[in-house]
Amino acid sequence: MTDMEKERNLKYTVITDKGVTVCGRVLEHNHTGSAMLTEIYRAQLGDWPKFFKMDTLSKVGYLASELLLKELGERRLEGEEYASDRAIVLFGTTASLCADRNYQETIQDSDNYYPSPALFVYTLPNIVTGEIAIRNHYRGETSFYVLDGYDTGSMAFHLQCAFQDDVTESLLAGWVDSTDNDDFRCFFTLMDRADASDLKGLENELKGIMDNLK
Amino acid sequence: MEEMILKLKQEIIEVLNLEDVKPEDIDNDAPLFGEGLGLDSIDALELIVLMEKNYGIKLQDPAKGKEIFKSINVMADYIQKNRTR
Amino acid sequence: MARVIQCIADNVVSPLGRTSMENYVNVKAGCSGLARFEEMDRVSSPFMLSRIDRYVMDELCIGLDIPDGKYTFFEKMLLTSSIQAVRKAGIDPSSDRVLFIISTTKGNVSLLDRDVKGFPQERVLLGKSASMVSRYFGNPNAPVVVCNACISGVCAQIEAMRALQSGRYDYAVVTGADEQSPFIISGFLSFKALTDTPCRPFDKDRTGLNLGECAATVVLKASDAPACGWVLEGGAIRNDANHISGPSRTGEGSYLALMEVLRKCGREGLAFVNVHGTATAYNDEMESIALYRAGLIDVPVTGLKGYYGHTMGAAGIMESILSMYAVQDGTVLATRGYAEQGVTYPVNVSPENRPAHGNRFIKLLSGFGGCNAALSYAYYS
Repeated sequence: MTDMEKERNLKYTVITDKGVTVCGRVLEHNHTGSAMLTEIYRAQLGDWPKFFKMDTLSKVGYLASELLLKELGERRLEGEEYASDRAIVLFGTTASLCADRNYQETIQDSDNYYPSPALFVYTLPNIVTGEIAIRNHYRGETSFYVLDGYDTGSMAFHLQCAFQDDVTESLLAGWVDSTDNDDFRCFFTLMDRADASDLKGLENELKGIMDNLK
Repeated sequence: MEEMILKLKQEIIEVLNLEDVKPEDIDNDAPLFGEGLGLDSIDALELIVLMEKNYGIKLQDPAKGKEIFKSINVMADYIQKNRTR
Repeated sequence: MARVIQCIADNVVSPLGRTSMENYVNVKAGCSGLARFEEMDRVSSPFMLSRIDRYVMDELCIGLDIPDGKYTFFEKMLLTSSIQAVRKAGIDPSSDRVLFIISTTKGNVSLLDRDVKGFPQERVLLGKSASMVSRYFGNPNAPVVVCNACISGVCAQIEAMRALQSGRYDYAVVTGADEQSPFIISGFLSFKALTDTPCRPFDKDRTGLNLGECAATVVLKASDAPACGWVLEGGAIRNDANHISGPSRTGEGSYLALMEVLRKCGREGLAFVNVHGTATAYNDEMESIALYRAGLIDVPVTGLKGYYGHTMGAAGIMESILSMYAVQDGTVLATRGYAEQGVTYPVNVSPENRPAHGNRFIKLLSGFGGCNAALSYAYYS
């Protein structure tokens, strides 16, 4: 095994408007864009009707996280079981731009001015972290950071910083961008303290993963 | 009334993104909130927008929605009596 | 050995003043920036807003040599506050040992309105606004925007603390702001969350929140030796895992965040808790439950929304700064708008200024997405 291969140990899912990859396995689909998200949800999950109410950013983040956790065989917390030791830390450049545009349409014309609360709530990018926390009963930290570009150095640094919370033992971490309902890019990974201990190594690893999004 | 109830159900399904629900799945007398459709507070607010947009009914007090959204029958009845379009 | 994170300079720009001290003096005197608006563009229902006068902002920009026509109102908010704070701190902002952190919820979102012209659409990206600020100061590091709804201002300070603890940076400039455009106002109106009268935190007749505009900055410094002055001692962010727009009925996330801060920083010398206190039925009730569960129900609480409204991205920073001034002044600020207890677990709140005892405060916030955050600052003389 070469040094480069040794560094690549994070398991991750990638979703773009053209396809879905779960830990290296490409999922089959007939559609692209928003129709593909619904298709994949129905084929792979289908157990959370709230999915249909989500905006694109949340749908993409939700799908990526669910597919990853399922692939890794994570047991789902149910009933009164909750965990505070898993944080959700996400990054992106567009934040909620897609939802912002959709909401703006509901208030743009005075003749057709009907502000939609269901669209407005998604004009906050951290809602996707909330959707994932609700589904998985995670009561740990949830954070959304916006960067000016694909900056894996900053990402690695802020991910490492997240472990300064003593309670946090693992991170559901990722990148999610969406400019409109048919344009999105996302990856999700699960990491523990050890994965974040070597900053340069983590940055390299993130670089490799982010190449899938371009 | 039958026709109006069907139209209202279709509108609700569309605006609340109840993807897997069909009009015939919604019981006219069953409560819209709580059990059943799994609606929440944002859905209630969205129904208030629906009433204004489609029927010209302005509901200032969201608490009033609780009574109106009791069931499809109650909601349809309220719309019939108060609609301005 | 952990580094000590000090707050060495601050600034608040709001309808109540252009410096932190001006703001504090006005709040202590009971002034409020809230005014009633009958409409704004296509928004036709009345609402209350604490709005920064655009002419006053332009005047402030001229005084600070910020070039005209180059920056949006939101960017002017960020710049006027951060420039004043950086000057006060006397640091070199172009050093690679300085990190810029921006706290905002909606940034330049008003540019999406097709009637708003004069700036390219890409400026709606929050990262662009952040880079605009760091570039203004000639700072070489990639800035980060913390976008965690209403708790962003506390999260941004927690992230600054961590970045400084890591040893990579010695200073962090943390600036928060939000412009109250029809986008945000119409959205909160659609949520039936706004009231058209001055808000009444924790009061039995509270009917909703008011919105407000503010820009606020803290400059944090990491020292390896024990230091005097204001020290940021700990913070935590926790999710309710309950609902995306409503707080947990048991105050779960706020309770967990408070407990973590108390574990790290202790309860000794706690003068007051500066709460979120939005004056919505659910928020204030939830906070009272969280305070009760954390054993803080007897500690004085104070909420500033009656003076400023909810200033979103600025709230966590501005409310921390005012709390610092209040502790040093030995005062628990009055909760403007409060008259009669209106929550299940009676909180220790007052419509009058009261004497404060202690050298420490906790700042608590919660927001959409089920997120909650708390931090604690202590003063050492």
